[in-house]
Amino acid sequence: MFHAFFRSTLPVLPLLLVLSPVNSSSCAMENKTTEIHVKYENILIHDINELVNISAQNRDRCCKNKNDKNIKVFFCNDTQEIESLQSMACNMLRFFHKQRISKAFRWKAAFVSCGTLQVLKCKCEGHRKEKICPHVNVFGKEDTETGEQSRKKCNQEVCELKENISSLRSCWNKFEKIISR
Amino acid sequence: MAALATFLVPVLLLLLCGPDPCPAAAHSQPEVKCVLFNEEYMNCTWGSRETLKANYSLYYWYRNTSNKVECKHYRQDQDIRVGCHFNQNEIIQFQPFHVLLKASMGGSTLEISKRMELQDLVKPDAPVNLTIHNMSNNQLQLTWATTYPKAKCLEHAVKYKSNKDTDWMEISVNGDVFSLPSVDYKKFYTFYVRSKVNKYCGRTQLWSEWSVPVVWGSNSTSKSTVHWFWIHTVLIPIASCVILLVLVILLVRMERVWVILMPRIPNPSKNFDELFITHNGNFQEWAGVPKDVVESFKPNYSENICYVSELPPKDSYDPLWESSNPPPSVMPSASPAPGEHSPYKNSYGRV
Repeated sequence: MFHAFFRSTLPVLPLLLVLSPVNSSSCAMENKTTEIHVKYENILIHDINELVNISAQNRDRCCKNKNDKNIKVFFCNDTQEIESLQSMACNMLRFFHKQRISKAFRWKAAFVSCGTLQVLKCKCEGHRKEKICPHVNVFGKEDTETGEQSRKKCNQEVCELKENISSLRSCWNKFEKIISR
Repeated sequence: MAALATFLVPVLLLLLCGPDPCPAAAHSQPEVKCVLFNEEYMNCTWGSRETLKANYSLYYWYRNTSNKVECKHYRQDQDIRVGCHFNQNEIIQFQPFHVLLKASMGGSTLEISKRMELQDLVKPDAPVNLTIHNMSNNQLQLTWATTYPKAKCLEHAVKYKSNKDTDWMEISVNGDVFSLPSVDYKKFYTFYVRSKVNKYCGRTQLWSEWSVPVVWGSNSTSKSTVHWFWIHTVLIPIASCVILLVLVILLVRMERVWVILMPRIPNPSKNFDELFITHNGNFQEWAGVPKDVVESFKPNYSENICYVSELPPKDSYDPLWESSNPPPSVMPSASPAPGEHSPYKNSYGRV
């Protein structure tokens, strides 16, 4: 009798895995667009604008000459804006420990990433958010010595971060435009 | 040394020009500028007939470089391609938009590439249907509509002034309603509105054109403005000239009145011009007295003049004469010689 029970219930588990949505979002604010809108307009957009300004200060002439194929491009997919934002924010956290990027730049980038994930109530793979975001509470002092050195040099990581920031900002613009009715 | 120079020159050129070949017209490389008009169509331009040295072809793609598409609707200026027109179905926002300009010139290929974010190049159409509503407490409310598909993504600017103001007032508005707290009913107001995509939906700096104006205020105010202009420029100068003329005329006429009030001393000399000029002072002749009457007044006899004088009394004068002797007689003296002094000389001088 027990054998019959297990034989009948065991296939259900794989079936559940197959039928479950492939792209199930780990964000808890999927349908709370109004709340997201308020937090974005009142808080997050100011930090994003500051980050964009810092990114513009970094030389991008060398980034234009770099091979674009080596830089990962994130797209803000239609009907998947929140997932796209989550993906971009989690990817930006990778740069938090990159020493070749000025400390002010990567700290601000991490601050915006954590803010995005907090507003959308999203998580990242490998608990990246839980490891980094608690440390990014206050905008720390910039390490001018290494920062100036990294700003002078043009490296692949700076170009990738700039691309990531541009994509994040555009995706937020797209999301705002969609939810504005 | 020459070999070293020959080696260094291309290296320097390569460093300056980059991996792309240095175009012959490097001093005037065109730049692609795109504007997305109200999200309905887009125009990209890269120069004009005068500035372009070559006939460029434009290719564009969004995600994959392998999906390059050539422009389907070129804009031309005298057989030179100066721009490209994109229909709405060719436009995708919030994806990197890449363009590549290509031209062949002098055996070399010219290439110019650019990456853009089309949501940052949106220029909305001007607002329409501007309407003014009269509210309580002398308040005006201005409303308008927009043809932009996402009205909530717009911010607006209202420009207004009255007929008494010299400068325009420009106010930023987030919604689609503008309130003017207190207005003067004697003034005449003019309002304009324009729009721009706000910072939440994009990063464009392109404002729309100003809308068709809407006015508010009493028509008489505007008419009186026109009338006041005519009064200032025409009526007042003419009236001033007329008044000046009248004053001059009155001044002239006042002299005549003055003359009437204070008549001049008459001068009858003219009446006597004939007496003194024609008749040489002969009054009888001038008066017309007949000659026989004039002759009759002339005396026809001569009369001796009798001069009487009194002898001075003597010292032995005898007082007896009073009783017996008659008083001495008065002896007529001989007529004095002419020229002697006589009290009667002048009275009967003429004979």
